[in-house]
Amino acid sequence: MTQQNLLNLCQQALDLARKHGADRAEVFGQATRAITSAVEKDDLQISKSLQETRIGVRAFIGTQVGFASTNDLTKLEDAAVDAVTLAKASPGDPHNVLPDPADIQPVEGLSDPAAESFGTADAVKQAIRMLETAKSVDPRVIVGESEFSAELRDRLLLNTSGVEAGERSSLFTYSTLTTARDGDVVSNMAFKFGATRSVGDIDVDPIARRSSEDALGSLGAQKGTSFVGQVLLDPYAVVSLFSPLPFQLSARNVLRGMSRWKDALGESVAVPGFNLVDDGRLPGGIATAAFDREGVPHRRLPLIVGGVLRSFLHNAYTAHAFGVPNTGNAIGSAGTLPAVGPTNWTIVPGDIAKADLIREMKRGLLVSRFSGNADPISGDFSGVAKAAYLIVDGKIDRAVAGTLIAGNVFEALKTLSGISRETEMVLNFTSPSLRLEGISITAE
Amino acid sequence: MQKLLERIVATASGWIELRYQARSTKRITVRNGNLEESSSALLAGLGVRALVDGVFGFASTTNVSERGILEAIEAAQAAARTSAGAKKERIKGLADAPMATGTFAVATDDPLDAHSLEEKLALVLHLDERIRSAAKEIVSSSASYGEIQDEKIIVTSDGASAHIFDSKPELRALAVAGRNGDQTMGHESSGVTGGWSDLLGIVAPEKLADVASKLAVDQLSAPHPEGGGSVVVLDPGLVGILCHEAIGHTVEADIVLGGAITSDKIGRIVASELVTLCDSGATEYSPYAVGILPVDDEGVLTQRTVIIDGGVMRSFLHNRETAAHYGVAPTGNARAYVYSDDPIIRMRNTYIEPGETPLEELIGGVENGYYLRELGMSGQADSNAEFMFGVREAHRIVGGKVGELVRGATISGNAFDVLKSVDAVGDDFAWEHGAGACGKGQAAKVDAGGPHIRCTLTIGGRQA
Repeated sequence: MTQQNLLNLCQQALDLARKHGADRAEVFGQATRAITSAVEKDDLQISKSLQETRIGVRAFIGTQVGFASTNDLTKLEDAAVDAVTLAKASPGDPHNVLPDPADIQPVEGLSDPAAESFGTADAVKQAIRMLETAKSVDPRVIVGESEFSAELRDRLLLNTSGVEAGERSSLFTYSTLTTARDGDVVSNMAFKFGATRSVGDIDVDPIARRSSEDALGSLGAQKGTSFVGQVLLDPYAVVSLFSPLPFQLSARNVLRGMSRWKDALGESVAVPGFNLVDDGRLPGGIATAAFDREGVPHRRLPLIVGGVLRSFLHNAYTAHAFGVPNTGNAIGSAGTLPAVGPTNWTIVPGDIAKADLIREMKRGLLVSRFSGNADPISGDFSGVAKAAYLIVDGKIDRAVAGTLIAGNVFEALKTLSGISRETEMVLNFTSPSLRLEGISITAE
Repeated sequence: MQKLLERIVATASGWIELRYQARSTKRITVRNGNLEESSSALLAGLGVRALVDGVFGFASTTNVSERGILEAIEAAQAAARTSAGAKKERIKGLADAPMATGTFAVATDDPLDAHSLEEKLALVLHLDERIRSAAKEIVSSSASYGEIQDEKIIVTSDGASAHIFDSKPELRALAVAGRNGDQTMGHESSGVTGGWSDLLGIVAPEKLADVASKLAVDQLSAPHPEGGGSVVVLDPGLVGILCHEAIGHTVEADIVLGGAITSDKIGRIVASELVTLCDSGATEYSPYAVGILPVDDEGVLTQRTVIIDGGVMRSFLHNRETAAHYGVAPTGNARAYVYSDDPIIRMRNTYIEPGETPLEELIGGVENGYYLRELGMSGQADSNAEFMFGVREAHRIVGGKVGELVRGATISGNAFDVLKSVDAVGDDFAWEHGAGACGKGQAAKVDAGGPHIRCTLTIGGRQA
């Protein structure tokens, strides 16, 4: 699928939507080529290829909206008819609007021309390299799953207000899921993820090595102790435990009455050292793109600055409902309606080394991964600390298993006592390590 | 299409598997009286799996013309050939299996397409309104309807040629209650393999709304539980999630080979003798389970697989590759979610068989403990069977009677230790995960359930 072909298809779908009764319409097209090579249980399992073009049509009749998508390009007219039919049957909503055209600057380095010739043999080579690197750390490591994917994607957005935006991106993602096994003793699963946009920057070794080290670290972990105290969360744990943040920051959830921060703009919601940013143009970010799901330019958006709530995330609907500028946070694919969400979100690092955060702790827990619930509304979290280590007198004492941690994310934001200067990217989230206070730690 | 695929397979070289799938989905979501989504989608295409030199290759395409299919076969075979040099242990063969031929369709006299968009929309608007008007504390409401209709044709070079029609509708209700800056949530859902009246018949839609709104409001005044070990009675929803998430994944043969704790457990005691745990392509004990699967995505006729029989582990869950590796018969557990997914080992309907103890006796036998109902926001488990599940609704049991509601409870432990602690199994049965889906790189519609059971596990709460 060439970019010109995709443009022609989208134009055709837009015309069909109008022909069948839409007074305004939007068409989003995505053409994807991907190859994946997967390792399972210490051996190459399968290599796969995919080619798909999907077209999503959003039809407006006054304030009514319907949406239909198809990947069968001989059925564009059916999709247009379905979208119009759904719109006609739906109650109207005055905030169903389309954004106007804006100046969209391309993102440099989003697509690597060398990715065009990246083939199955290259993907196999990288997958095997991850397997061998992970195994080289220790023979007790088992690579349960490891996957290397290369993807080339064209996105194209057209609407009847005159927005026309398109871009090509390349993305290489790699992940490993390992366990370590020593006789009858099985460690926790350890997961690491990496990504890059360019062939030359692919570096699977650190991901594989650290996944093995994490699995080994939790091998033979013993029962911990119960107390209320400090917990130092590594980035993989922060991303699951702090999942209520993007939920609370979505203007859609504010409108829904589901955000506790609905009246908190300009107010303190976190300690003064806490800064949170969303950046859809972040170099190397996996959600990086020049424009959002509605064709609005991405930009860098400070959300929490010095602990003070500064902005919510908006798409065209919520920006209209609140009468504020659109922040370009419409997310979704050609198969879904535009939702509201973060692009690449980042907790800004602090200026203290993680080792020093540990040194300051009299008694606490270091948690590499969190397996549990964080209620997006109440902020209550409770779950198992995975790859967890007891800290005593400023030193890592030993690995502990079966330890539950519980508390409240919003209270934790207001009392956290340390933000490391080291950061790590976990999918579309980049975070330092965070030290929380007053957390319930329960040993089973 | 079936004839075309049969003709192509007959002339292709080597082992191949062609799977055409056309999936149409619809979704309607209403929140706080506003329509948030009214959408439909068509996802159609062909997935090809080829076995060349003892390695699988897979390719998918949306071009289902004869030429497009032949190109996809060539791509799958090329992917396999390219990988062959790097594969350590070549696949020596696939286990023999009863391959499916003929047509397999969900039995319903009330197909989803016989009901208009307006009728479905009216139901969702009604549920949303009912949640919102349930109590003055409700600050947000949401109701949604979703449906998946599949047509599949699976043709393999070793005998399968099956035409499959499937239909799975679901309903969800969500309520958020608020008071003095505190917010709590309640949700309830139902889903079936079947038609429109099957969905409405299994749980009255109004009941979903009422349960969700009551739970949200009641939690506002509920305290947190104390953390620690406790005797509990689990409802069929939590029994199901324990069977699926904490036990089931550890007996998927690919996970077993990846180092799961179960690898040497066949023939060994892993649970109380009261526990018989199964995974089935059919819908035993109660109809409409959402994981009904007459034919798996390798074209194998499915069966009921007894994983744990009276406390003793008897079987893993297999595809044709792992069955050959272990020298056993395939269990019909190879599944692919959409045409572009390759089949991998997945569960279907996973459950504990009912026992003989009435629910009143299960609860009556607990002096101090908890009655726990349904999975909360999420659940996770590890391949060493350690699990952590949020609990949607938790009540204390004091002196054999269900009492005070507590909020934010989680349960955790090692699933096999929990199953060993089972001292009574209820005489009831329900499927409880009809609106749920399992994720393992790709999604799958699975169900899980069982009777109520009494056991011991760890409650996650707050330290005083």
